[in-house]
Amino acid sequence: MSAWGTAAGAFVGTLALTTALRTASELRLTRMDLPFLLGTAVTADRARAKALGYLVHFANGELFAFVYYAVFLAIGHAGWWLGALFGLVHGLFAGTALVNVLLPLVHPRMGSPLTSAPRVALLEPPGFLMLNYGPSTPLVTVLAHVGFGAIVGGFTTLGSG
Amino acid sequence: MRVSGPPVDVPSDPGRATAFRIDGYARLRDYAVIGDGRSAALVAADGSVDWLGAPDLDSPSVFAAVLDPVRGGRFLLEPEEPFTVARRYLPGTNVLETTFTTARGSLRVTDALTLEADGALGPMRELQRRLDCVAGTVPLRWSVQPRFGYGAHRPRIGRRAGIPVAVSGADALAVCAWDAGEPECTDWAVNGRVELGQGGRALLAIPFAHQEPLVLPSRSECDARVEQTIAAWRGWAGERSSEGRWQDAVLRSALALKLLIYAPSGAIAAAVTTSLPEHVGGERNWDYRFSWVRDSAFTLDALLKLGCPAEADAYFWWLMHASQLTHPRLRVLYRLNGGGHAPERSLPLDGYRGSRPVRIGNAAGAQTQLDTYGELVQTGWLYAGAAGRLDADVARRLAELADFVCAAWREPDSGIWEVRSAPLHFTQSKMMCWVALDRAIDLCERGLIPSRGSARRRPARWRSARAQVRDFVETRCFSSVHQCYTRSADSSELDAAVLLGLLHGYARPGDPRMRATVDAVARELRHGPFVDRYSGEDGLRGSEGAFLACSFWLAECLARTGRLDEATALMDDLVGLANDVGLYGEEIDPATGAFLGNLPQGLSHLALISAARAIDSIAEAADG
Repeated sequence: MSAWGTAAGAFVGTLALTTALRTASELRLTRMDLPFLLGTAVTADRARAKALGYLVHFANGELFAFVYYAVFLAIGHAGWWLGALFGLVHGLFAGTALVNVLLPLVHPRMGSPLTSAPRVALLEPPGFLMLNYGPSTPLVTVLAHVGFGAIVGGFTTLGSG
Repeated sequence: MRVSGPPVDVPSDPGRATAFRIDGYARLRDYAVIGDGRSAALVAADGSVDWLGAPDLDSPSVFAAVLDPVRGGRFLLEPEEPFTVARRYLPGTNVLETTFTTARGSLRVTDALTLEADGALGPMRELQRRLDCVAGTVPLRWSVQPRFGYGAHRPRIGRRAGIPVAVSGADALAVCAWDAGEPECTDWAVNGRVELGQGGRALLAIPFAHQEPLVLPSRSECDARVEQTIAAWRGWAGERSSEGRWQDAVLRSALALKLLIYAPSGAIAAAVTTSLPEHVGGERNWDYRFSWVRDSAFTLDALLKLGCPAEADAYFWWLMHASQLTHPRLRVLYRLNGGGHAPERSLPLDGYRGSRPVRIGNAAGAQTQLDTYGELVQTGWLYAGAAGRLDADVARRLAELADFVCAAWREPDSGIWEVRSAPLHFTQSKMMCWVALDRAIDLCERGLIPSRGSARRRPARWRSARAQVRDFVETRCFSSVHQCYTRSADSSELDAAVLLGLLHGYARPGDPRMRATVDAVARELRHGPFVDRYSGEDGLRGSEGAFLACSFWLAECLARTGRLDEATALMDDLVGLANDVGLYGEEIDPATGAFLGNLPQGLSHLALISAARAIDSIAEAADG
């Protein structure tokens, strides 16, 4: 196992995940846009939000990949299939807790179930499994994360040479 | 204001006729609304909360006696002696104050759905009813009868730490009573009675939880929260601009509109209720707890004119986000959480005074309505005018909407009124297609939306399509016999919606055809202050009342076409048609003055704001 492999896998995996979500958006399967959600936590300017959001998104990709790496080390196994399994759990966690519950609580422009008048949110909350962003969103998001995990797992093993 | 009716026996049993109720149903005109930006409740003049959707506006109801007094559930609170009622909103708020007067005393009830408390642990949702005896002695009784899931689920009622709690699935509510008598739990309800003397105070709080533990507040926390709620509403209202001849009505409309804004997403519901009938006993009963693209241009215009930039931003962002999945096609309506799927089904409830079916969901969502494209591009145009710029994604999508209109405008559609008869070439739909293209051309000329798409220069194509649409409207949708724009191509029927052609810029005020159309609508569809939507068939049985928004549109059109005195007189009449707390439903029965349709109706209040502002502005200009 190689930390450098994990770092490279995180970069490629995040690239793949982002591309998959963007493609799904163009195909009208989902309104999910993770860089946009992250970027608008910092600015209300849409264009700037997307640019900043990509940076934060890639940093998050590295962070999560090294959480995977830590678990790989702890159990002494790594591989694309194990990474894919982690990605599945990661995707489910993202849809049920991370983006649905935690993000609305810290995002200054996103509504939460507690947002009340006279305040008004600038971004609608994703809802359970991010279903507010389209009925295909859970499937697309989980598959994208499975892909991310598989790439991270695979690169981690490749890096060990 | 005082609600008419002599002192009567306490209204209680369905089937009993009183001054306040017939067969258990209050008059729709007798409802006031309270809300917190997420959920809303209807409070009848006799003190009964007959509707509450929780946790959200479009959630299944906890109280729905307005649709079925037996199965729907309610929160009854009333003096035990004959009483009269006077009501008002606390100035500048959506907090309701009801004063009951009996032969022996007077009692004030303050009703609020409290707002989120900064930093404090409060209930997810909370209905508070504060009781103050202001004179003499008043015996009263109260009864909380929750029926979750539109009356389908009778709750399990028990006690937690001595407090009555009703539970059903993931929903729960508690009944916290202070100095309001000892709550008694039955299988069906939590009941209490108390006699308050002058200066006596009591409090009933109903915290609600969905998918989380109940938060049980203390009395002091409740008192603080309701004060905070009153202050927050006053703060919001104080920042709104509401000058002019009808400033009180405009401010109340702004506050009513704010209750329809779903704060977690920025979406704006058409009304807080479902299936309140357009004709009592009829089938025209629809679910209005969704956001219609049709209303978007009026909504953004009103929010900007009222000085609500945050709400305008949120609404426009939400609208563009919600419509993303079907782009460039638009759905007629979207759920408040942004979803586009709202399947229609009927509930086993009796309906308001037997008006069945009681529907949830709305099949109109799947219709084709070409006018929505004009309204959305107009909304973008208004937004760009206020913001001075458009985000690149939004700009691209607005241009693509105009491209779509070029291809789609020749299709028949269901029109703004969502007729359930065969699609037609509705005049107003074509006019709004013209507006979509015209606004897109303007935005393009100002460099705010892209001029190239699909390897073609857009403005030339848009100009060509715009000319074709106008040619179609002027040749096929204008009757030389009746001297007006007709309801649809080659017909002789009338439609008040064509007035929107003037209001949204299809025609100029001096245009003789539009002036003649305003005259024709006033002559053929107007009865006193009331205006019917249209003449002709719509695929549904039964009749309906006069549509209030059309009356306000006519008033605005009269002013814009130079009939200022007539417009002012009509507005005065219309403002007088509000109920005792300044609210409007969708329609009014011209014969009886009874409210019809869902309430409070956003479109009625939007049309009031637009007309009041326009007439004031025209009058100011005329005065020099």
